[in-house]
Amino acid sequence: MISISSKRSLAMLAMGVGLALYGTSAWAHHPLTSKFDMAKTTTMSGVVTSVDWRNPHVHIFMNVTANRKVSNWAIELESPIELAKDGWSRETVHPGDKLTVKGNPALDSSRQVWGADLRYTETGALVFPPKPRNSMAPVPTRPTPRWPDGHPALGQSPNSVDGYWEAPSKTALVEDGVDVKMDQYGLLANLADAAKVAPMQPWALGVYQNRQRRLLKDDPTFINCKPPGGPRMYQSNLGIQFVEDNARKRIFVMMGSGNHNYRIIYLDGREQKGLVGGDDDNPLYFGRAVAKWEGDTLVNDMKDFNEDFWFTNGGLPHTSLLHLTERITRTDNDTLRYQVTVDDPGAYTRPWSATWTLKWNGGGTLPAHFCQNNRQ
Amino acid sequence: MLRNLRGWSVALLAIALTLPIIAQEGHPLKGSWIGVWATNPRGEDVVMVMNWDGKSVSGIINPGTDDVKIDNATLDPNGWKVHIEASGKDAKGAAIKYTIDGAIDKLEMPNRGIVGTWTSGASKGKFEVHRQ
Repeated sequence: MISISSKRSLAMLAMGVGLALYGTSAWAHHPLTSKFDMAKTTTMSGVVTSVDWRNPHVHIFMNVTANRKVSNWAIELESPIELAKDGWSRETVHPGDKLTVKGNPALDSSRQVWGADLRYTETGALVFPPKPRNSMAPVPTRPTPRWPDGHPALGQSPNSVDGYWEAPSKTALVEDGVDVKMDQYGLLANLADAAKVAPMQPWALGVYQNRQRRLLKDDPTFINCKPPGGPRMYQSNLGIQFVEDNARKRIFVMMGSGNHNYRIIYLDGREQKGLVGGDDDNPLYFGRAVAKWEGDTLVNDMKDFNEDFWFTNGGLPHTSLLHLTERITRTDNDTLRYQVTVDDPGAYTRPWSATWTLKWNGGGTLPAHFCQNNRQ
Repeated sequence: MLRNLRGWSVALLAIALTLPIIAQEGHPLKGSWIGVWATNPRGEDVVMVMNWDGKSVSGIINPGTDDVKIDNATLDPNGWKVHIEASGKDAKGAAIKYTIDGAIDKLEMPNRGIVGTWTSGASKGKFEVHRQ
């Protein structure tokens, strides 16, 4: 039997837990600029107390003594996937290690720092950032691999090793020919450049400016693990992979980020329309894609997107009228040229295009970054 | 008993706050909105459904037998001001016009609001709806 006062306490407890959970999910993953002041730096020395090695970001906790008072600070780093690529593991830093950290302080003045430079205090030896990755070193140009029927292999071919595409040359959508400065998350260096990014309708420009002004912290991909549909999946730092099912005439596009989602590109000649009882009148995060080969370029027609996600890093808006034409060309073994034409009369004044390249990570396994609960 | 219910209501509200909110990241007016138009003799509850076709906003207020058609709706990104003109019929079948003027509140939120006033002839009152 629960008394009224107990029930009231339970209610208050539930509200407290609820609000705490809400806060956690909203801040668990985020563009750096929405959490840290990248224009300021701070330095501190301390003793590592624990290492939280998990997605979306690794945290090193460290006791820092100042004015005879000990405070525990959280040093935030990249994801385990990114760190592992650089040779890190959960054993790289241990409790008891003495570190000196240079980084960017939290905007809300909490005891959190984005770690930019970590060194052992006693020796000065660098712990982070690591040395540049070998995989990014230039390689001799090799011809585009092909399937027996002659068309280019977008992923691994029967005679080659596993691999995936990574390191996009652009990480946010900007119209070809436009030169504006923005960070890896698509945050403009100068908000006055917003109208240059793409030919937006007034409302869309206003929404884009609002998202930029709020430092992209409302991005549903970060807050609610919403799939990064459309061209955004080709601008992920965790890469994408094509799995070609030639017998069934379809290509699976797997993502290293988000929820390790995939989408299907159909090459079987089907019409670009919804299937009754399937995706008919049911807008999707990844739209519906039918494609054909034009020479060595895969031309992919995509439409029927829902409006529940951001289709670009940086927050360019779209509507359900969005129609994308992707032109994907493997120009050589190690280079993928991706061009997308955005035709959305609901948000833009005219069609526009953006182009970038990705690099082949031969033999690499597509990272699996699961976003369930925003913590895994 | 009432205190009991209130306690559990607070608990349920708290749990509801933790559930993912369905996003709508397209045109800010598109979607279903629920709220009140205070002192309206036809009833204070109001439901509004709006759509955006790339050129204009269309929609309907209180869908059903007493519905009011939105004739014209505009959104000014400078201050996110909303202006809506709608027409229907009163209980006697006579034409009736409504004008709603307000602004979007918390643009970035899935449950963003439109807060302002409604007028119809000499009648007017507060208007507040939130996107569902």
